[in-house]
Amino acid sequence: MPFSLRLPDAWAKLGWKAKIREDERNEEPHVSILFKLWTWRMSLRTGEFLDVSPPPRNVPVELAEWVWANREVLRGEWDEKYPENVVFSQEER
Amino acid sequence: MSVDMLLVHDGFTEEWVEQGFPAASVRSDREVRDAYERLGTRRRPVVWIVPDGSQLVALAESGDQLKSNHRLLLLDEAPDVRKDLLHLLFRVVVTRGKGVSLLPIEELREVLASGERADLFVAGVVDPAAEVVVLYRGDLAPVVVPFAWFLRRGPAPRPNFRDFQVTDYGQTVRFGKYEASTDAILYAHDADYRRRAKQRRLQQDDSLGACIRRLRLARGLSRADFPGVSDKQIARIERGEIVTVRARTLAAIASALQVELSEITSY
Repeated sequence: MPFSLRLPDAWAKLGWKAKIREDERNEEPHVSILFKLWTWRMSLRTGEFLDVSPPPRNVPVELAEWVWANREVLRGEWDEKYPENVVFSQEER
Repeated sequence: MSVDMLLVHDGFTEEWVEQGFPAASVRSDREVRDAYERLGTRRRPVVWIVPDGSQLVALAESGDQLKSNHRLLLLDEAPDVRKDLLHLLFRVVVTRGKGVSLLPIEELREVLASGERADLFVAGVVDPAAEVVVLYRGDLAPVVVPFAWFLRRGPAPRPNFRDFQVTDYGQTVRFGKYEASTDAILYAHDADYRRRAKQRRLQQDDSLGACIRRLRLARGLSRADFPGVSDKQIARIERGEIVTVRARTLAAIASALQVELSEITSY
Protein backbone atom coordinates (compact mmCIF):
# COMPACT_ATOMS: atom_id res chain seq x y z
CA MET A 1 0.00 0.00 0.00
CA PRO A 2 1.43 3.41 -0.83
CA PHE A 3 2.06 5.69 2.11
CA SER A 4 0.06 8.90 1.78
CA LEU A 5 1.20 11.83 3.83
CA ARG A 6 -1.82 13.64 5.21
CA LEU A 7 -1.66 17.16 3.85
CA PRO A 8 -3.33 20.23 5.35
CA ASP A 9 -6.93 20.49 4.15
CA ALA A 10 -6.30 23.56 2.04
CA TRP A 11 -3.84 21.64 -0.16
CA ALA A 12 -5.68 18.33 -0.07
CA LYS A 13 -8.92 19.95 -1.22
CA LEU A 14 -7.15 21.39 -4.24
CA GLY A 15 -6.06 17.86 -5.17
CA TRP A 16 -2.44 17.83 -3.98
CA LYS A 17 -1.12 14.48 -2.71
CA ALA A 18 2.19 13.29 -1.29
CA LYS A 19 2.94 9.58 -1.51
CA ILE A 20 5.65 7.00 -1.23
CA ARG A 21 4.67 4.71 -4.04
CA GLU A 22 5.28 1.11 -4.97
CA ASP A 23 7.78 -0.09 -7.59
CA GLU A 24 10.26 2.71 -7.00
CA ARG A 25 12.93 0.68 -5.22
CA ASN A 26 15.54 1.41 -7.91
CA GLU A 27 15.21 5.15 -7.57
CA GLU A 28 16.85 7.59 -5.21
CA PRO A 29 14.75 7.70 -2.03
CA HIS A 30 12.03 10.28 -2.59
CA VAL A 31 8.47 11.33 -1.89
CA SER A 32 6.18 11.82 -4.90
CA ILE A 33 4.12 15.01 -4.85
CA LEU A 34 1.14 14.66 -7.15
CA PHE A 35 -1.17 17.28 -8.57
CA LYS A 36 -3.46 16.57 -11.50
CA LEU A 37 -1.32 15.36 -14.42
CA TRP A 38 2.02 15.98 -12.79
CA THR A 39 4.37 14.30 -10.32
CA TRP A 40 7.37 15.90 -8.65
CA ARG A 41 9.97 13.72 -6.89
CA MET A 42 11.51 15.29 -3.79
CA SER A 43 14.69 13.70 -2.47
CA LEU A 44 14.36 12.37 1.06
CA ARG A 45 18.08 12.94 1.52
CA THR A 46 18.33 16.59 0.59
CA GLY A 47 14.83 17.98 0.07
CA GLU A 48 15.76 18.93 -3.48
CA PHE A 49 13.55 18.10 -6.42
CA LEU A 50 15.07 15.30 -8.47
CA ASP A 51 13.70 16.33 -11.86
CA VAL A 52 13.81 19.54 -13.84
CA SER A 53 10.48 18.67 -15.45
CA PRO A 54 7.80 19.35 -14.40
CA PRO A 55 9.32 22.60 -13.09
CA PRO A 56 9.77 22.45 -9.30
CA ARG A 57 8.71 26.11 -9.08
CA ASN A 58 5.14 24.95 -9.79
CA VAL A 59 4.97 23.34 -6.36
CA PRO A 60 3.89 25.98 -3.83
CA VAL A 61 6.80 26.79 -1.55
CA GLU A 62 4.66 26.39 1.56
CA LEU A 63 3.60 22.91 0.48
CA ALA A 64 7.18 21.83 -0.31
CA GLU A 65 8.28 23.13 3.08
CA TRP A 66 5.45 21.30 4.80
CA VAL A 67 6.35 18.01 3.09
CA TRP A 68 10.04 18.47 3.97
CA ALA A 69 9.12 19.24 7.57
CA ASN A 70 7.68 15.71 7.69
CA ARG A 71 10.85 14.14 6.33
CA GLU A 72 11.48 11.90 9.33
CA VAL A 73 8.08 10.22 8.92
CA LEU A 74 8.64 9.89 5.17
CA ARG A 75 12.16 8.51 5.61
CA GLY A 76 10.84 5.91 8.01
CA GLU A 77 8.12 4.86 5.58
CA TRP A 78 10.59 4.67 2.70
CA ASP A 79 13.06 2.58 4.70
CA GLU A 80 10.30 0.20 5.73
CA LYS A 81 9.09 -0.19 2.16
CA TYR A 82 12.54 -0.44 0.57
CA PRO A 83 14.94 -1.90 3.16
CA GLU A 84 17.45 -2.70 0.40
CA ASN A 85 17.60 0.98 -0.60
CA VAL A 86 17.35 2.96 2.61
CA VAL A 87 17.56 6.75 2.72
CA PHE A 88 20.77 6.71 4.74
CA SER A 89 22.97 3.67 5.09
CA GLN A 90 24.52 2.86 8.47
CA GLU A 91 27.76 4.70 7.73
CA GLU A 92 25.90 7.82 6.65
CA ARG A 93 23.91 8.12 9.84
CA MET B 1 -7.11 22.39 -34.65
CA SER B 2 -5.61 18.96 -34.09
CA VAL B 3 -6.72 16.10 -36.32
CA ASP B 4 -5.07 13.62 -33.98
CA MET B 5 -8.30 13.89 -32.03
CA LEU B 6 -11.81 14.39 -33.26
CA LEU B 7 -14.73 15.22 -31.01
CA VAL B 8 -18.21 14.22 -32.12
CA HIS B 9 -20.15 16.52 -29.93
CA ASP B 10 -23.63 17.00 -28.66
CA GLY B 11 -24.95 18.87 -25.63
CA PHE B 12 -22.82 16.72 -23.34
CA THR B 13 -19.50 17.81 -24.83
CA GLU B 14 -20.56 21.33 -25.81
CA GLU B 15 -18.71 22.66 -22.80
CA TRP B 16 -15.51 20.96 -23.96
CA VAL B 17 -15.72 22.78 -27.28
CA GLU B 18 -16.49 26.11 -25.61
CA GLN B 19 -13.46 25.72 -23.34
CA GLY B 20 -11.14 25.15 -26.30
CA PHE B 21 -10.64 21.39 -26.15
CA PRO B 22 -7.79 20.77 -28.63
CA ALA B 23 -9.61 18.60 -31.16
CA ALA B 24 -11.39 19.05 -34.43
CA SER B 25 -15.12 18.76 -33.87
CA VAL B 26 -18.00 17.46 -35.96
CA ARG B 27 -21.68 17.36 -35.22
CA SER B 28 -24.00 16.27 -38.03
CA ASP B 29 -24.21 12.79 -39.59
CA ARG B 30 -22.82 14.24 -42.79
CA GLU B 31 -19.80 15.73 -41.01
CA VAL B 32 -19.18 12.45 -39.22
CA ARG B 33 -19.24 10.48 -42.49
CA ASP B 34 -17.00 12.99 -44.26
CA ALA B 35 -14.47 12.94 -41.45
CA TYR B 36 -14.44 9.14 -41.35
CA GLU B 37 -13.78 8.95 -45.10
CA ARG B 38 -11.24 11.77 -45.12
CA LEU B 39 -9.19 10.53 -42.18
CA GLY B 40 -9.70 6.80 -42.67
CA THR B 41 -6.70 6.33 -44.95
CA ARG B 42 -4.25 8.10 -42.67
CA ARG B 43 -1.52 5.91 -41.28
CA ARG B 44 -1.45 7.88 -38.06
CA PRO B 45 -4.45 6.90 -35.98
CA VAL B 46 -7.09 9.45 -35.08
CA VAL B 47 -8.74 9.31 -31.65
CA TRP B 48 -12.48 9.81 -31.91
CA ILE B 49 -14.21 10.99 -28.74
CA VAL B 50 -17.90 10.31 -28.86
CA PRO B 51 -20.70 10.56 -26.26
CA ASP B 52 -22.49 7.23 -26.81
CA GLY B 53 -21.77 5.98 -30.32
CA SER B 54 -25.26 6.45 -31.72
CA GLN B 55 -23.83 9.14 -33.99
CA LEU B 56 -21.62 6.53 -35.67
CA VAL B 57 -24.10 3.77 -36.41
CA ALA B 58 -24.91 5.16 -39.85
CA LEU B 59 -21.27 4.66 -40.86
CA ALA B 60 -21.69 0.90 -40.79
CA GLU B 61 -24.26 1.10 -43.57
CA SER B 62 -21.43 1.60 -46.05
CA GLY B 63 -19.70 -1.75 -45.97
CA ASP B 64 -16.72 -0.63 -48.01
CA GLN B 65 -15.65 1.78 -45.27
CA LEU B 66 -15.37 -0.81 -42.56
CA LYS B 67 -12.26 -1.05 -40.40
CA SER B 68 -10.01 1.94 -40.21
CA ASN B 69 -6.96 2.84 -38.22
CA HIS B 70 -9.13 5.01 -35.95
CA ARG B 71 -9.43 4.59 -32.22
CA LEU B 72 -12.68 5.30 -30.42
CA LEU B 73 -13.43 6.51 -26.91
CA LEU B 74 -17.08 6.33 -25.87
CA LEU B 75 -17.84 8.59 -22.94
CA ASP B 76 -21.15 6.90 -22.10
CA GLU B 77 -21.95 3.25 -21.73
CA ALA B 78 -23.34 1.70 -24.93
CA PRO B 79 -25.34 -1.49 -25.46
CA ASP B 80 -23.25 -4.56 -26.34
CA VAL B 81 -24.72 -4.82 -29.79
CA ARG B 82 -23.59 -1.28 -30.59
CA LYS B 83 -20.13 -2.03 -29.26
CA ASP B 84 -19.91 -5.00 -31.63
CA LEU B 85 -20.85 -2.72 -34.49
CA LEU B 86 -18.29 -0.12 -33.50
CA HIS B 87 -15.59 -2.79 -33.38
CA LEU B 88 -16.21 -3.20 -37.12
CA LEU B 89 -15.43 0.47 -37.65
CA PHE B 90 -12.57 1.14 -35.27
CA ARG B 91 -9.35 -0.67 -34.51
CA VAL B 92 -9.57 0.16 -30.81
CA VAL B 93 -12.82 0.80 -28.90
CA VAL B 94 -12.66 1.98 -25.28
CA THR B 95 -15.94 2.33 -23.46
CA ARG B 96 -17.44 2.21 -20.01
CA GLY B 97 -18.81 -1.16 -19.03
CA LYS B 98 -18.44 -4.09 -16.71
CA GLY B 99 -14.87 -4.45 -15.49
CA VAL B 100 -13.70 -1.31 -17.30
CA SER B 101 -12.18 1.53 -15.32
CA LEU B 102 -12.38 4.90 -17.05
CA LEU B 103 -11.15 8.13 -15.48
CA PRO B 104 -13.83 10.46 -14.11
CA ILE B 105 -15.02 12.79 -16.87
CA GLU B 106 -13.23 15.93 -15.62
CA GLU B 107 -9.92 14.08 -15.22
CA LEU B 108 -10.44 12.44 -18.59
CA ARG B 109 -10.90 15.79 -20.29
CA GLU B 110 -7.74 17.22 -18.74
CA VAL B 111 -5.64 14.20 -19.67
CA LEU B 112 -6.91 14.12 -23.25
CA ALA B 113 -6.29 17.84 -23.64
CA SER B 114 -2.74 17.49 -22.38
CA GLY B 115 0.31 17.19 -24.61
CA GLU B 116 1.43 14.40 -22.26
CA ARG B 117 -1.65 12.24 -22.87
CA ALA B 118 0.32 9.36 -24.40
CA ASP B 119 2.22 9.00 -21.11
CA LEU B 120 -0.90 8.76 -18.95
CA PHE B 121 -3.58 6.07 -18.75
CA VAL B 122 -7.23 6.93 -19.30
CA ALA B 123 -8.79 3.48 -18.96
CA GLY B 124 -8.15 -0.18 -18.42
CA VAL B 125 -9.75 -3.57 -18.13
CA VAL B 126 -8.73 -6.72 -16.27
CA ASP B 127 -8.94 -10.13 -17.97
CA PRO B 128 -8.76 -12.64 -15.09
CA ALA B 129 -8.80 -15.67 -17.39
CA ALA B 130 -5.80 -14.51 -19.39
CA GLU B 131 -4.25 -12.96 -16.24
CA VAL B 132 -3.52 -9.68 -17.96
CA VAL B 133 -4.49 -6.05 -17.53
CA VAL B 134 -5.06 -4.01 -20.67
CA LEU B 135 -4.35 -0.34 -20.04
CA TYR B 136 -5.19 2.42 -22.52
CA ARG B 137 -3.05 5.52 -22.81
CA GLY B 138 -4.47 8.94 -23.63
CA ASP B 139 -3.92 8.29 -27.34
CA LEU B 140 -5.81 5.00 -26.78
CA ALA B 141 -2.76 2.89 -27.57
CA PRO B 142 -3.13 -0.29 -25.48
CA VAL B 143 -0.47 -1.65 -23.13
CA VAL B 144 -0.88 -5.27 -22.02
CA VAL B 145 0.59 -6.04 -18.60
CA PRO B 146 0.60 -9.60 -17.22
CA PHE B 147 -0.49 -10.09 -13.59
CA ALA B 148 2.96 -11.58 -13.03
CA TRP B 149 4.59 -8.17 -13.53
CA PHE B 150 2.69 -6.70 -10.59
CA LEU B 151 3.49 -9.75 -8.47
CA ARG B 152 7.16 -10.07 -9.41
CA ARG B 153 8.60 -8.73 -6.19
CA GLY B 154 6.09 -10.18 -3.78
CA PRO B 155 4.53 -6.83 -2.89
CA ALA B 156 2.68 -6.41 0.37
CA PRO B 157 -0.23 -6.08 0.25
CA ARG B 158 -0.77 -8.22 -2.81
CA PRO B 159 -2.64 -6.64 -5.72
CA ASN B 160 -6.34 -7.44 -5.68
CA PHE B 161 -7.13 -7.69 -9.40
CA ARG B 162 -10.86 -7.71 -8.73
CA ASP B 163 -10.69 -4.19 -7.32
CA PHE B 164 -9.18 -2.19 -10.16
CA GLN B 165 -9.07 1.53 -10.88
CA VAL B 166 -7.15 3.97 -13.04
CA THR B 167 -6.78 7.08 -10.87
CA ASP B 168 -4.78 10.25 -10.08
CA TYR B 169 -5.37 11.73 -13.54
CA GLY B 170 -4.01 8.57 -15.13
CA GLN B 171 -0.81 8.59 -13.08
CA THR B 172 -1.72 5.58 -10.93
CA VAL B 173 -3.20 2.12 -11.39
CA ARG B 174 -4.76 0.71 -8.23
CA PHE B 175 -5.57 -2.91 -7.37
CA GLY B 176 -7.18 -2.92 -3.93
CA LYS B 177 -4.62 -1.45 -1.54
CA TYR B 178 -1.76 -1.87 -4.00
CA GLU B 179 -0.83 0.97 -6.34
CA ALA B 180 1.57 1.06 -9.28
CA SER B 181 2.66 4.28 -10.92
CA THR B 182 2.02 4.74 -14.61
CA ASP B 183 5.65 5.76 -14.91
CA ALA B 184 6.87 2.38 -13.58
CA ILE B 185 4.49 0.45 -15.86
CA LEU B 186 5.44 2.36 -19.00
CA TYR B 187 9.12 2.21 -18.10
CA ALA B 188 8.91 -1.57 -17.97
CA HIS B 189 6.73 -2.08 -21.05
CA ASP B 190 7.51 0.64 -23.56
CA ALA B 191 11.01 0.96 -25.01
CA ASP B 192 10.28 4.44 -26.40
CA TYR B 193 9.15 5.67 -23.01
CA ARG B 194 12.24 4.12 -21.42
CA ARG B 195 14.53 5.87 -23.91
CA ARG B 196 12.88 9.22 -23.20
CA ALA B 197 13.14 8.65 -19.45
CA LYS B 198 16.78 7.70 -19.83
CA GLN B 199 17.41 10.83 -21.88
CA ARG B 200 15.84 12.98 -19.15
CA ARG B 201 17.86 11.22 -16.49
CA LEU B 202 21.11 11.60 -18.39
CA GLN B 203 20.49 15.28 -18.83
CA GLN B 204 20.16 15.54 -15.10
CA ASP B 205 22.83 13.26 -13.71
CA ASP B 206 25.21 11.25 -15.85
CA SER B 207 28.01 11.27 -13.28
CA LEU B 208 29.94 8.07 -12.63
CA GLY B 209 28.53 7.89 -9.10
CA ALA B 210 24.92 8.18 -10.28
CA CYS B 211 25.46 5.46 -12.91
CA ILE B 212 27.00 3.12 -10.34
CA ARG B 213 24.13 3.74 -7.93
CA ARG B 214 21.49 3.06 -10.61
CA LEU B 215 23.26 -0.11 -11.70
CA ARG B 216 23.77 -1.32 -8.13
CA LEU B 217 20.08 -0.90 -7.33
CA ALA B 218 19.05 -2.52 -10.60
CA ARG B 219 21.23 -5.53 -9.71
CA GLY B 220 19.77 -5.67 -6.21
CA LEU B 221 23.17 -5.23 -4.56
CA SER B 222 24.00 -3.46 -1.33
CA ARG B 223 27.12 -1.36 -0.88
CA ALA B 224 28.66 -4.25 1.01
CA ASP B 225 28.52 -6.50 -2.06
CA PHE B 226 31.67 -5.17 -3.73
CA PRO B 227 34.65 -7.44 -2.92
CA GLY B 228 37.78 -5.39 -2.47
CA VAL B 229 35.92 -2.08 -2.12
CA SER B 230 34.50 -0.92 1.21
CA ASP B 231 30.86 0.09 1.53
CA LYS B 232 32.03 3.50 2.73
CA GLN B 233 34.09 3.95 -0.41
CA ILE B 234 31.15 2.93 -2.63
CA ALA B 235 28.93 5.44 -0.80
CA ARG B 236 31.46 8.24 -1.34
CA ILE B 237 31.81 7.40 -5.04
CA GLU B 238 28.04 7.36 -5.47
CA ARG B 239 27.73 10.73 -3.79
CA GLY B 240 30.43 12.18 -6.04
CA GLU B 241 32.82 12.79 -3.14
CA ILE B 242 35.48 10.73 -4.91
CA VAL B 243 35.74 12.05 -8.44
CA THR B 244 38.84 10.21 -9.63
CA VAL B 245 38.44 6.50 -9.02
CA ARG B 246 41.46 4.21 -9.33
CA ALA B 247 41.40 1.83 -12.28
CA ARG B 248 41.69 -1.19 -10.00
CA THR B 249 38.75 -0.03 -7.87
CA LEU B 250 36.68 0.67 -10.95
CA ALA B 251 37.45 -2.80 -12.32
CA ALA B 252 36.30 -4.37 -9.05
CA ILE B 253 33.10 -2.34 -9.16
CA ALA B 254 32.42 -3.31 -12.79
CA SER B 255 33.02 -6.96 -11.95
CA ALA B 256 30.56 -6.89 -9.05
CA LEU B 257 28.01 -5.12 -11.25
CA GLN B 258 28.57 -7.68 -14.01
CA VAL B 259 29.24 -5.13 -16.71
CA GLU B 260 32.21 -4.16 -18.84
CA LEU B 261 34.17 -1.27 -17.40
CA SER B 262 33.35 0.89 -20.41
CA GLU B 263 29.62 0.22 -20.02
CA ILE B 264 29.16 1.63 -16.53
CA THR B 265 28.46 5.18 -17.67
CA SER B 266 25.92 3.99 -20.25
CA TYR B 267 23.47 3.20 -17.45
